[in-house]
Amino acid sequence: MHRSTLLAESLAVLGKEVASELRRRVALNAIGLFAVTTLVAVAYQIGPYGLAEQDRPFLLSALLWIILFFAATAGLSRVFVKEEDAHTAKALRLAARPLAVLYGKLLFNLLLLLALEAIIVPLYCALMGFAVKSVGGLVLVMVAGGAAFAVTSTFVAAIIARASGSNALFAILALPLLLPLLVAVIAGTRAAAGSPELLAVFPALRAVVSLGGVTMVTAILLFPVVWRD
Amino acid sequence: MTERTWQKSLKWLLGFWLAGVTAAALLWAPAAAGFQGHSFRIVFFHVPQAWVAVLAFCVNLVASLRYLRGRKPLDDVRATTAARLGLLFAVLATITGSIFAKIEWGMFWNWDPRETSIVILLLIYAAYFALRQAVADEERRAALAAAYAIFAFVTMPFLIFVVPRVYASLHPNLVEAARGAVRFKMDPAMRMVLLGALAGFSGLFAWLYTLEVRVARVMAARRAKEEA
Repeated sequence: MHRSTLLAESLAVLGKEVASELRRRVALNAIGLFAVTTLVAVAYQIGPYGLAEQDRPFLLSALLWIILFFAATAGLSRVFVKEEDAHTAKALRLAARPLAVLYGKLLFNLLLLLALEAIIVPLYCALMGFAVKSVGGLVLVMVAGGAAFAVTSTFVAAIIARASGSNALFAILALPLLLPLLVAVIAGTRAAAGSPELLAVFPALRAVVSLGGVTMVTAILLFPVVWRD
Repeated sequence: MTERTWQKSLKWLLGFWLAGVTAAALLWAPAAAGFQGHSFRIVFFHVPQAWVAVLAFCVNLVASLRYLRGRKPLDDVRATTAARLGLLFAVLATITGSIFAKIEWGMFWNWDPRETSIVILLLIYAAYFALRQAVADEERRAALAAAYAIFAFVTMPFLIFVVPRVYASLHPNLVEAARGAVRFKMDPAMRMVLLGALAGFSGLFAWLYTLEVRVARVMAARRAKEEA
């Protein structure tokens, strides 16, 4: 009998997620529209000239991550909630081992976040006049921050899907866990905006990577409990 | 001595100990230099409360791990009890800290990194109970709450050690102090009262915790009897 590997199963779960998302586009629409609407509101109210010069790097970094953070919380929980809504969770439990489900859905959420960042960050820089001195540093912070963000939100999504499945519960559970990460990525973005040196983002990046690594290991250990119970 | 008399005398000892610590903190401990009036005396209650909030979080972690290993309902009761007491002590630590902050730093709230940490700890505890309320099935509730508690616990060191290093804190930095980089000049009498208060509050937590777990045990036994 042909035995599939964990990698093949994870990629199959990812493929299924991408195919079903492209069919309905619920998460994409929720995240994308939320982000663009918030960005327009912020740009309209503050714009490129609304902040004092010395406050700009810090406030603009914080605003950017607040937009990304709330847009992400609007759609990332869908990944597990939709399985419970459509009663397909049981079939998925039979079809793939728990870790393959976690990896597949985590990769999908990561792709969603990276796509969101790829659209929103350049738009934000243009609309808000946010000059970033180290683009490489910003990309590093965005990718590492997105990955760490995806780990926690995917795990919390798995929990709330087994609870009530409400988006409000997702925000309540995810917010306190994501705050330390948010503090670190805002510090990293500010460092990238303020210094052309790539090394400037490393202290914040270290915190982001270690937080992402620790939560990833914990999620791998705990996910079978959440998924099977 | 029977177990019951033993427990009773421990309870009395705890009562006398806490009364003694309170009297010592308010009357005996010498005035500390550099503080407004007697405001420093609240530290003898604030620090132990924050300590118990963290201790309860650790007890919650151990009980949650035990629940996931053995699936015994009593471990879930232990985890919930620890979280409930942790929430209570975290609220008390926040209130006493705010009073101290108002007198010393002029504002009830300064978004100091340690204030931020305690708020996030409060939010985690609140989220833990929100999650529990959202699940009807007892076993699933216990397992999901345990998984969330363990996951939340691993993010806590980042709050306690990383965030205060990124932003300047008004609180003394205990990590630097442990390395010997900063030296606290604490009067031996003050240190004694603070250590006594830490022991007393830990004892208070242990007493409340065992009491609540025993009540839950009796209730569970009664429910089982009624169902039988």
